[in-house]
Amino acid sequence: MTDSDHALAELTIQQLDGFATEFARAIEPLVDEQSIRAVQAQFLGKKGKVGEVLKIVGKLPPADRAKVGAAGNKIKNTIEHEVARRLGELVHAAARADLARTFDVTLPARPHGGGHLHLLTQVRLEAVQIFSELGFVVADGPQIETDWHTFEALAIPKEHPARDMQDTFYVSEEIVLRTHTSPVQVRTMLTQPPPIRIVAPGHVYRRDDDPTHSPMFTQIEGLAVDEGISFADLKGVLIHFVSRFFQRDLTVRLRPSYFPFVEPGAEVDMQCSFCMGAAVSPPCRICKTTGWVEIGGAGMVDPDVFAQCKVDSEKYTGFAFGMGLERMAMLRHGVNDIKFYYEGDLRFLEQF
Amino acid sequence: MKVLWSWLLELCDLDRQPTVEEGARALTRGGLEIEGITDLGAGFSGVVVAEVVGKRPHPQADKLTLVDVITERGGAATQVVCGASNVPEPGRKVLWAQVGATLPNGLVLAPKPVKGIVSPGMLCAEDELGLSEDHAGIVVLDDDDRTPLGAPAQRALGIEDWLLELNAPANRGDVLGHLGIARELIAVLRGKLVPPDVDLSAHLAAHLAAPLAGAGPRVDIVIQDPEACPRYTARVIDGVRVDKVGNALARRIAQRLRGVGVRPISNIVDVTNYVMFELGQPLHAFDAQTLTAGVIGISHASDGEKFTTLDGIDRTLVRGDLMIRDGGRGIALAGVMGGLESEVTDKTTRVLLESASFRPLTVRRTARRLGLHSEASHRFERGVDPELAQLASARAARLLCLVGGGQVLGDVVDAYPQRRTVPAIPVRLSRVRMLTGVALESSTCRDALERLGCVVRSSRGRPAEGAVEDARINSGDETFDVTPPSTRVDITREVDVIEEILRVVGYEQVTSTLPAMRQAPGVRPRDRAELARAALAQAGMAEAITFGFQSIERNAALGLPGTDRRMQPITIRNPMSIDQAAMRTSLVPNLVAAIARNASHGRPDVALFEVGSVFLRRGEGVSERPLHELADEPVWAAGVLAGRRPGHIGAGTPWDALDAQGFALVAIRAVAGDVRVRTRAVKTVSYLHPGVTGELVIGADIVGWFGELHPEVRNRLGVEGPAYAFDLDLTKLALAAPSQMQPIARFPGSARDVSLLLGEDIPAARIEDVIEQANEPLVAAVRLLEDYRDAKLGEGKKSMLWSIAYRAADRTLTDFEVDKAHENIVARLVDNLPAQRR
Repeated sequence: MTDSDHALAELTIQQLDGFATEFARAIEPLVDEQSIRAVQAQFLGKKGKVGEVLKIVGKLPPADRAKVGAAGNKIKNTIEHEVARRLGELVHAAARADLARTFDVTLPARPHGGGHLHLLTQVRLEAVQIFSELGFVVADGPQIETDWHTFEALAIPKEHPARDMQDTFYVSEEIVLRTHTSPVQVRTMLTQPPPIRIVAPGHVYRRDDDPTHSPMFTQIEGLAVDEGISFADLKGVLIHFVSRFFQRDLTVRLRPSYFPFVEPGAEVDMQCSFCMGAAVSPPCRICKTTGWVEIGGAGMVDPDVFAQCKVDSEKYTGFAFGMGLERMAMLRHGVNDIKFYYEGDLRFLEQF
Repeated sequence: MKVLWSWLLELCDLDRQPTVEEGARALTRGGLEIEGITDLGAGFSGVVVAEVVGKRPHPQADKLTLVDVITERGGAATQVVCGASNVPEPGRKVLWAQVGATLPNGLVLAPKPVKGIVSPGMLCAEDELGLSEDHAGIVVLDDDDRTPLGAPAQRALGIEDWLLELNAPANRGDVLGHLGIARELIAVLRGKLVPPDVDLSAHLAAHLAAPLAGAGPRVDIVIQDPEACPRYTARVIDGVRVDKVGNALARRIAQRLRGVGVRPISNIVDVTNYVMFELGQPLHAFDAQTLTAGVIGISHASDGEKFTTLDGIDRTLVRGDLMIRDGGRGIALAGVMGGLESEVTDKTTRVLLESASFRPLTVRRTARRLGLHSEASHRFERGVDPELAQLASARAARLLCLVGGGQVLGDVVDAYPQRRTVPAIPVRLSRVRMLTGVALESSTCRDALERLGCVVRSSRGRPAEGAVEDARINSGDETFDVTPPSTRVDITREVDVIEEILRVVGYEQVTSTLPAMRQAPGVRPRDRAELARAALAQAGMAEAITFGFQSIERNAALGLPGTDRRMQPITIRNPMSIDQAAMRTSLVPNLVAAIARNASHGRPDVALFEVGSVFLRRGEGVSERPLHELADEPVWAAGVLAGRRPGHIGAGTPWDALDAQGFALVAIRAVAGDVRVRTRAVKTVSYLHPGVTGELVIGADIVGWFGELHPEVRNRLGVEGPAYAFDLDLTKLALAAPSQMQPIARFPGSARDVSLLLGEDIPAARIEDVIEQANEPLVAAVRLLEDYRDAKLGEGKKSMLWSIAYRAADRTLTDFEVDKAHENIVARLVDNLPAQRR
């Protein structure tokens, strides 16, 4: 072991220690990972400065080798640590810089979706949903119907004055555009034994045209046939419906009326959802201050209808009701002319 | 039915006098809806009854009179200037519109100088009070008028009254007369009926004059078909004087008729109308001297028989029409209208009064066929109680004698071959309670029915006397035997009686309950229409609902071949307008028309859809023959796009055919799930542009089309710029089964791109087909990255850049595997399309 060997070892250690400052200085101005890694490679890479210096280790006496080796490990650790620190700083700086970014969030939103279900579709779906809570299922039937299903089976024979109530569009002597959804009652009873609970929404046609009547409009029909169905059940179902539909506790008034296919028959009035029957100023124009608005017809299924539909009217009783969906939508959404529903006018459709 | 409140009250003795509003409410509550109340005296105010106490000419004008009037016995006289020529002598009463009075034309009277003399108001003529068009002179009240001085003119005129508009149910012929309505009112409000006076004792001819010309008292009645005419009564009143003005009673009758909307004609005819409105029984008066046969026959017309009704129109009859005949000659169309020849004229001195009953169906058929709807036919169609005939005849005879000065010759002749029997109806109390859901007491039911005039006998646990043996009735349950009043021809069944009970008790007594849940909801398959609607709205389109019918022309705008079912729409026999003459066979025309309508409102950007039924004749090779069966009503979904998509900053880009395809796929996927939909270019859809039409195919089924609207079609429907559409038959789509989860790809895939130079006319779908046909199991997805067209590429050439993703479920693919598969596909593309690799 010579002194010069010792000196060489010392020198090597000094050299290695010196790299720490040199490295720190070299990466100080760098602001991206790639250049930092490049400088790191200059020191720690295969042909890096640290490796070059450590080549000498083999020539050193064993006693010094450990010291120099330790110094080598130390500088490697220092550089790696420094790289990690510096990179960490850069990430933080980048995150801070990113958070300093601003964007005009008050610009108009980019449009997505933006379509509209027709108001009558919305109302129909909601009505069906409400009745389904009470166990009613949807049924349907053709719009071009036989005279028999539309009238005869519903105790409205030809020449019956009640046919004047519903001015009918005829396709031929025996085929009509259905004037109500009630033929669905007939079709259901002829194909399904009681118990029956159906609702039948659909288009119907009558020769009528003014701000509250359209030659085509939409009815929803209900029918329940079972043992022990009563007029009180009818009232309960209607109250449930109007209260849920208008989202208020509304009551229903049944007024005696005549429809050939129900007995007892009734006009259905609901408590005015605008004024609730209270005196308001200006006077309520929806119910004309009566406190009631007419929403449809109803009653207990007439035994003659049961007979036509092969249902035993001694064993079973039933109720039926029909309402105009346009009217329900008018009452809830303030639509003031029935024509708007059918004109495909976007100024109307886009409101709902 | 128009109802006069004063007339109604005259026929009731009520426990407490109701106001008109209370009366209307009571009737409405019982089911006779009062749709409106008109105050007949509301037209004017401030006009009073005044007595003339002096008159003299106006010093400045010959035609004017100065009239002194008083409104209080012994009060000071006021001088009014009057221009009428019929100013009465002192002692007679006139109608004075005082200062401050309001007249029907809105005029408010103020003191006004007339030729130098100030007149405080005016004396009124009928036209000035809105009573008639008559301006011949001022109103002068009858000599015997008892209206006190100073009373409102309305009282003297009989218009201190209200007119009720009653919506009579179609089965209630009995409420088409005031007496029937009075019956309802006393049932609801409690009271007694006051039947009209039918006493003829003072009007019987003391003896029969020597042989009479024309029909005398012993006329025979021969009814050929008792079904069609269950009862016919006739009587003769002699010595009447027909008079247009008539006595005080005649004027009162005329006044009431005007009130209910009937034009007064003469004292005699007015009586028949009056009694019809009073009792509901239509009557007819013949001039008895025109009847010569001595036999009134009621028989059917023969086909082609001619008859002139009293409106002067010649009618041609058919076999179903029922005629009243004098011997063989027709003199009236039964229950509809009398004949011209036997009409009462101002020369008539003897009338034959018909009070009869005809079958509703017979009258209705005749009235409908001839378009001849009279007050009489309206009542007969709804059912007139045959029992009314004698009462009405006597009532009318009495009034005829009172207004026409006649005398009744002999008794009424009454042919009543089919006496109406009103059988008792057994009604079970248990059934009443079950059907109404109200625990009504037996006594309540009985009381309600008796108030309506029913005869009620109750029996507990045994069948009613004479009733049919019936196990159900004989079950120990309390049973009523209910005999309704004969006027109520509508009450024939137990359930009818139950309704009557509930009506009188009040529907408001019904509590509310809910029926038991008996049927689980949701057994119905999902609704294609609702699925498509929800998806299209969510995707950004607005839903339209259009009429099921349209004009034949609009339907024809589709321009399909004449053999297509869609070109043979089902037509309406009696449309309200030509715009509603044919059932739609496609949703497209109405939607295209909606583009035009929106454009006219300044809304050129349109994305509208409709999901609904179209209506097609059944079967192939169909024609324009009338439809005698149901139609096919498949549900279609169609949409139209015009203008631009919603813009963000600035306008959006214009819609194009691929948007229409995109929306079509939205609807298809909503219904059918993630199915493979193939598109092919076709030229066969007449309403789409032949170069821009895609046919959508699932498996072997064509489910619809999309593309640009044919320019001619949209022009015909009023749309100017290009527009796009899709049109889908939803019934062709199989409802998607619930999606089953597929394993998540665990190994990465890898993609390769290929750029191709190929002929412009090779559709994109062809490239996808070739790739599919290569049948490379590793292909996971194919995407088009670029579709580039440029003249620099060469004539008729385009460049496409496709990316193909490769993946295996069980391993990471090696580059070698991917390259091999990719090169195989590229080679096929190059060979089969053909194409060059770029």
